[in-house]
Amino acid sequence: MADAALQLRRLPHRDLGLWLVAALAAAALFAAVVATRPPLPGSAELARTLQSILLWHSLVPRSVTALICGAALGLAGVLLQSVLRNPVADASTLGVVSGAQLALTAATAYAPALIVLSREGVALAGAVAAVALVLGLSWRRGLDPMTVILSGMVVSLIAAALSATIILAKGDYVLSLFIWGAGSLNQQSWDAALSLAARLLLGSVAAALLLRPLGLLGLGDDVARGLGLALHAVRFAVLGVAVWLAASVTAEVGVIGFVGLAAPTLAREFGARTQRQLLLAAPALGALLLSITDSAVQLLGSGFNDFAPTGAATALFGGPLLLWLMRRVPPAPPAQISDAMALTRRIARPFSALAVLAVVIAIVAVIGLVLGRGPQGWGLATGALFADLLPFRGPRLVAAGAAGALLGAAGCLMQRLTANPLAGPEVLGVSAGGGVGLTLALALLPFSPFSMLAGIAGGSLTVLLIMLALAGRPGIGSQRLLLAGIAMGALCMALVSIALAKGDLRAYVLLTWLSGSTNRAGEIEVWIGLIGCLVLIAPLFLATRWLDLMPLGEATSRGLGLGVERSRLILAAVAALATAVASLLTGPLSLVGLIAPHLSRLAGFARGRDQLAASALIGCGVMILADWLARLVAFPYQVPTGLFAALIGGPYLIWLLNRTGNRHG
Amino acid sequence: MPTRRAALATLAAATLPRSAQAAALRIATVDWSVLETLLALGAVPVAAPELLQFREVAVEPEMPGTVTDLGLRGTVNFELLLLSRPELIYSSSFYASSEPRLLRIAPVERFSIYAPGRPPFEPAAAMMRSVGARLGIVGVAERYLAETEAEFALLRERLKPHAGRPVIPINLGDARHFRVFGADSMFGEVLKRLGLANAWTDDTSYSATAPVGLEALARVPDAWIALIPPVPPGALEVLGASAFWNALPNLREGRLLRLGSINPYGGLPAARRFARLLTEALLAAEPGRG
Repeated sequence: MADAALQLRRLPHRDLGLWLVAALAAAALFAAVVATRPPLPGSAELARTLQSILLWHSLVPRSVTALICGAALGLAGVLLQSVLRNPVADASTLGVVSGAQLALTAATAYAPALIVLSREGVALAGAVAAVALVLGLSWRRGLDPMTVILSGMVVSLIAAALSATIILAKGDYVLSLFIWGAGSLNQQSWDAALSLAARLLLGSVAAALLLRPLGLLGLGDDVARGLGLALHAVRFAVLGVAVWLAASVTAEVGVIGFVGLAAPTLAREFGARTQRQLLLAAPALGALLLSITDSAVQLLGSGFNDFAPTGAATALFGGPLLLWLMRRVPPAPPAQISDAMALTRRIARPFSALAVLAVVIAIVAVIGLVLGRGPQGWGLATGALFADLLPFRGPRLVAAGAAGALLGAAGCLMQRLTANPLAGPEVLGVSAGGGVGLTLALALLPFSPFSMLAGIAGGSLTVLLIMLALAGRPGIGSQRLLLAGIAMGALCMALVSIALAKGDLRAYVLLTWLSGSTNRAGEIEVWIGLIGCLVLIAPLFLATRWLDLMPLGEATSRGLGLGVERSRLILAAVAALATAVASLLTGPLSLVGLIAPHLSRLAGFARGRDQLAASALIGCGVMILADWLARLVAFPYQVPTGLFAALIGGPYLIWLLNRTGNRHG
Repeated sequence: MPTRRAALATLAAATLPRSAQAAALRIATVDWSVLETLLALGAVPVAAPELLQFREVAVEPEMPGTVTDLGLRGTVNFELLLLSRPELIYSSSFYASSEPRLLRIAPVERFSIYAPGRPPFEPAAAMMRSVGARLGIVGVAERYLAETEAEFALLRERLKPHAGRPVIPINLGDARHFRVFGADSMFGEVLKRLGLANAWTDDTSYSATAPVGLEALARVPDAWIALIPPVPPGALEVLGASAFWNALPNLREGRLLRLGSINPYGGLPAARRFARLLTEALLAAEPGRG
């Protein structure tokens, strides 16, 4: 009904006005960019020649490239959202972009000949592999939107972790380029514009041909099949076009966040209702959006230096935009999260199971302390050698374990607070929010582990409170919350990468934090971790009733006599602080906060108390294992623990989800 | 504790072949600029980080095979450093946060060559003197410093016809971006000492400089472009076909110098390498115009 009223208000002239304003804004900003070009040195004649070269070989192709990239991403976004019937689908949420980026990074590092041969081919191979993985994993569950997005997110994070590992292994200078060059639209020729234009044209023709089948797909599988549609063929065709467009853009200009997600959303806001309208409006809006951003970035910068990478800046405005628009996203078909919530079996004796877990972790820890590699290869450290090595192996093991336990507990709290099985510090943007806090702390406070912790804690708490405020709104649904979390995470990471692009010593600290290395852990880190566990996790066992009631929803909780507001706030604060402490120790990317509560539920720990304890234990164990492996796999070169945890935890989570899916389906 | 460690170290040192100067002290370093300096003085350290990359990027001085690789500079392998049993660890301001860990292994001496807004040449020379004094090879260090002065004087003399000419040292990020080195970089200061001018007058940060769009080269039409590796795969091929690149006066008039690899954050050996490679390339491209 509200929807109908909304449509009534949307009179045609208003739509036209909006379009006009957007187009004029883009044109005016570009004109301003051209008008405010910095003066060039040299004789008047030379300066004139150079200015005209700059205009026709750099500025104009750049603005055209922005328009084309925006349109291509918008088209890819709308195609993906239609074919997967998933309002959160986008090249970045499906892993297309990270897959392409990983392939490009790996090829640059290990097979440069491939890059010379075809950047686009390399990117496309990576993108297709990532999408195939994501869809293959959610195939048995009928490409249920939640499963697709979860798999996409996990695949993205794994790909990003692998890229970062390669970059760290190949030298730090590549990293600054990775951060900045990714998603920068600087051009000095028409090559990118022309090659992308050809692809956009082909993609548009394909989309036009697929218009009718797409419309039928929207009616549901059964209807579509009944009308004689070859479902799989159409789906693959649409997917193929979208992935190809997004991979081409990534190959030419790097990662441009959010346009594919924002453009279709905005198009609906601008009044596009039918499939045809969407297919026209989304690319147009994507083009305007990217063009406006790119001009703004140039205007805000000084001289020839952009204010920020365009690809990061799109997230800067795209994030808030999506948060603001979220409540107007048309209600999606009910997500089948109950499946993901479903238990395989309930453990009969949770205490014995927890004890077994604890013993396993103790064994892993002992192995971690004793078994290692040295100049003479593998060896067990005993006696004097053990005593010598303990001050180095001990602290990092304790720091990693404590961080894992804190993340497990935080993830468990967040999943219960939001009644959303996909919630977690990484997914809700809470870890990334910590990064913004850290950036501010580095800029404003004197440097110390405690100011870092304060910054991360402040940032995490702010983001989590925003997410809870959103989650508490009536009718938000887990899908919208997830969308908000992705938006928030991208927004925060964009802020962090803008700080990184400044390239000073603070950026170096941020970078070290992002990678999540436990290598430098010493006494301070050990105490921070242990005290964090003691102060933040232990008291939770006094509040297990809250944990059991919280997922039942606000009305039920209140009916059962729970002070909802107060208990939510307390639990949220604890979760945010736990995230902050953990990310100080092992960085924001580990995925353990998502994995550990999941694993504990899949293992059959159902009650709040049991799930909390199991999550903390599993998180602890995964992190200790990750730390040990990170130390050894490339000895003497070390992989950051946080990244490595994502590398081992992610695939396991996907595998487990898929296995349960099979059993149910 | 110190007694056992000292005993172990002595034992280990006794079994190793002794180089002429680095006789008494087992030294390790976690910083490349110190590593260069040590090698230039013939004081071979027992352990240093990222040797694979060092041989590729810094190229000289020659690295003996006896040095233990400590892994990435960002995450130095402390266990391996411990097992190398150093008696002295050289560090730099980049590794300040690792210092508590390093101090558990051996005494640490820290240098600060690269700091915002401060030219790094004098601090690098001071580091060489300090290392010489600490290791009891003052003579070697002074000789190296004198050689450095002499080499710069010679190169400056050879470059006299080009005195005051602008040079822009860049490192290509991809076919569309470059990284630039300003007055507070080692390259910037070497240019000054060679009597040349740095065409890039904006500030640059002293570390991980943010890449700039290639179109900014239009600002320095008169400058020699000194291209410092690594050059990304395919980038020069793409540039060769680029109308913008070929329209730049620098390119049209052949003012592109392709140098060998140099460590941008090195010590005096890197500075001398840059000076030598740049002079050779410049004179080969445009032998004395008078």
